[in-house]
Amino acid sequence: MAISLSKGGNVNLSKEAPGLNKILVGLGWDARATDGAAFDLDASAFLVKMDGKVRSDNDFCFYNNKSVADGAVAHAGDNLTGAGEGDDEVIKVELSRIPADLDKVVFAVTIHEAESRRQNFGQVSRAYIRIVSEEGGQEIARYDLSEDASIETAMIFGEIYRVGTDWKFKAVGQGYAGGLGPLASSFGVNV
Amino acid sequence: MDISKGQRLPLSLLFAGASQTVQVGLNISGLEAAVDFACFGLDTQQKLSDDRYMVFYNQPKTPCGGVELAVPAGDRTGFLCRLDSLPASIDRLVFTAAIDGNGTMRQIRSGHLRFLQNGQEGARFAFTGPDFQDEKALMLGELYRKDGAWRFCATGQGFNGGLAALVRHFGGEVAEDVPAAPPVPPAQTLSLEKKMAAGSPKLVELAKKATVSLAKYRLDATIARVGLVLDASGSMSGQYSKGRVQEVIERLLPLAVHFDDDGELDVWAFSRKVLALPPATLANYADYVNSAERGWRNWGMMSINNEPAVIEQVIEHYRGTRLPVLVIFVSDGGVSRNKEIKDLLIHAASLPIFWQFVGIGGRQYGILEKLDTMAGRIVDNCGFFALDDLHSISEQALYDRLLGEFPQWLEAAKIKGIVH
Repeated sequence: MAISLSKGGNVNLSKEAPGLNKILVGLGWDARATDGAAFDLDASAFLVKMDGKVRSDNDFCFYNNKSVADGAVAHAGDNLTGAGEGDDEVIKVELSRIPADLDKVVFAVTIHEAESRRQNFGQVSRAYIRIVSEEGGQEIARYDLSEDASIETAMIFGEIYRVGTDWKFKAVGQGYAGGLGPLASSFGVNV
Repeated sequence: MDISKGQRLPLSLLFAGASQTVQVGLNISGLEAAVDFACFGLDTQQKLSDDRYMVFYNQPKTPCGGVELAVPAGDRTGFLCRLDSLPASIDRLVFTAAIDGNGTMRQIRSGHLRFLQNGQEGARFAFTGPDFQDEKALMLGELYRKDGAWRFCATGQGFNGGLAALVRHFGGEVAEDVPAAPPVPPAQTLSLEKKMAAGSPKLVELAKKATVSLAKYRLDATIARVGLVLDASGSMSGQYSKGRVQEVIERLLPLAVHFDDDGELDVWAFSRKVLALPPATLANYADYVNSAERGWRNWGMMSINNEPAVIEQVIEHYRGTRLPVLVIFVSDGGVSRNKEIKDLLIHAASLPIFWQFVGIGGRQYGILEKLDTMAGRIVDNCGFFALDDLHSISEQALYDRLLGEFPQWLEAAKIKGIVH
């Protein structure tokens, strides 16, 4: 039974699923049911050190840089409209291969061309992030963001981080103004 | 407090105190055409499962009184929401606006949805044209239950297809390709409910239900004549003596009053012969079957079925009319003269008459059941549905079924030039 988290909550993945190594981070939302420009949402991951910054621009995993840290974190592709069953975007993570100098992987979603389309996360229905074991396929933890959706155009959905030798997952649900550019800058990425 | 498009927040943030009564004020300016506002009360599936929870000018209050039309000073319209009066099945209140005519929401000069308590404004969601594109109907905002408390979302999204698309979104059935509502003539400006005020409270109740269906099928501005054909063959005697036929007339009268320029329901009874009865009106509908032409027992009916004769007479009666005609044909089956009926109705497809056959408590409907697929007609001019018992469906569902196919015919008939 997956653990359902509220904003700010966390769960120890290593204790919930002993021996967990390969995980799928699934992100999803409902396709737009109303008329108007579709919501084109992009997921990305930032691999950061203890100080919250990337080692280099190569630690920013997104649609133009799909495999980072020698394949420890890999973006599985983009679904343009959110239609269909299951996750809209999946990022694969192999925990044991995350370099020791990296402390945390932050998962964010941004709305493509949000400004010109006058869109924000408040208009997106049923957004979530979930952690799934790649081997067994079972869901370990899930965070539904709907009620925490902000009127901003970028949002950190959640993050996984080291606690000793364990990995934990935290439901973040934090909006960020300005979209992907400013968000990436805040993690030390040169954009 | 200003609320931005897309923002979600607990209602408790808008007003101090524990009061569960808030008033919503709505305003839109800059649009040429009329805007219809409504409040939809939806279930947990976000569907309108109970039509009585669509509150608008013709249905100004929910049965529980939880939502009631109440316009704050300075606003175009508004709703008083007593949230703790709403049944648990109502999970969400959606405040909507739909353009009835030309234009799109991008032409809005200014608009708002605001919250008031005791006449004092607590919060406002303001919007303008650039917030939208080609929408003709909008969900402006929603109050919804979440973890035992009410929250608000400034939705600001909608549909280019107008009210019909909105109703469909809420799970309502809308006839495909609904005709655009023609301009409302002055004679139609009185609401159906007000017209029915001359009748009994029971009729006013029926009028409300009919109005919901009329709005659903975009028929609220359609002018048509309404005729009723009653099977009065021997097998129907029970339906007459039990008052079921009288009930049919009472249920149909609001439709006639709504559609018809003279507010009359033209009535025929048939068995072997045909009897044109005096039109049913608000003045004479009460006890109609027992009083018209000295009552049904004196109509000289209660013999065999002769559908072709009455169909011919109805066609003759409406010959030359410029308005569309909705004929509701009640039968309890035992239909045998299939070839003649078929030929007549195929021929009548070029006339501005739509035939809605309703089977009540019978069997052997014969050709009536196959009318929808009958070939050789310029438009599909017939509909059929059967009920075991008039009481087996709600009045609301009955209106929905009676009006379900008429709009499609109307649209097709306009395209073919049968109706102007």
